[in-house]
Amino acid sequence: MKTTSKSGTRADAALSQAMDGLWVRFLPEIKERVAVLEAAAQAASEGKLTAKQREAARAAAHKLAGVLGTFDLTRGTVLARELELTFARDSSPGRDGGAKLAEIAAELRSMVESRKSSA
Amino acid sequence: MARKILIIDDEDDIREVAALSLESVAGWEVIKASSGAQGLARAAEHQPDAILLDVMMPGMDGPTTFRELRKNQATAQIPVLLLTAKVQGTDQRRFADLGVEAILFKPFDPMTLSTQIARALGWS
Repeated sequence: MKTTSKSGTRADAALSQAMDGLWVRFLPEIKERVAVLEAAAQAASEGKLTAKQREAARAAAHKLAGVLGTFDLTRGTVLARELELTFARDSSPGRDGGAKLAEIAAELRSMVESRKSSA
Repeated sequence: MARKILIIDDEDDIREVAALSLESVAGWEVIKASSGAQGLARAAEHQPDAILLDVMMPGMDGPTTFRELRKNQATAQIPVLLLTAKVQGTDQRRFADLGVEAILFKPFDPMTLSTQIARALGWS
């Protein structure tokens, strides 16, 4: 974040610290959404993805896309958007597609679990 | 100038981050609602200077909530900004056609959210 003064720097640091607090608070919810994506990707790779599971995965991906970039995980938003668009399609991703989705979900999990505090 | 903003969003994380941002960066007063129905009641009760309204919510979604706000004389004049993670052009045109003041996108930068709102509403 750019700052223009000492007070600006302090304000940035205070906001970053508060954001880190929110990250810790909401991390279980964020991980749950990733778990929904992992389960859907696994089901797709086994050819067992149901319409209900696909819709749950689409919704989880949409929420992650909206929030991850806010916590400086810009690539997380990009990956989540890719998953959202895939799960929004009527057609099943298929076994090969499912394997690709599982890779993306794994990258998301790694990103979420390794986020460093920004303060 | 201190402003009063109502945030209507069913997602706890987004609601809390937006509230933190507007309170700590801009010093604005924030009122929160976790559903469209709760938002309608809070808007009428608190008369905020503006409403930040999520699009995709279970039950009453953002566009429906917006139309209800406009139907009620007590809330019809309050500026509304839609907050959405939808980036497709067709969605954006549909939202713009509703008549909201502006459309803001998730993810947002907590450091500049208040500036975006102020600029959209001509407050800066």
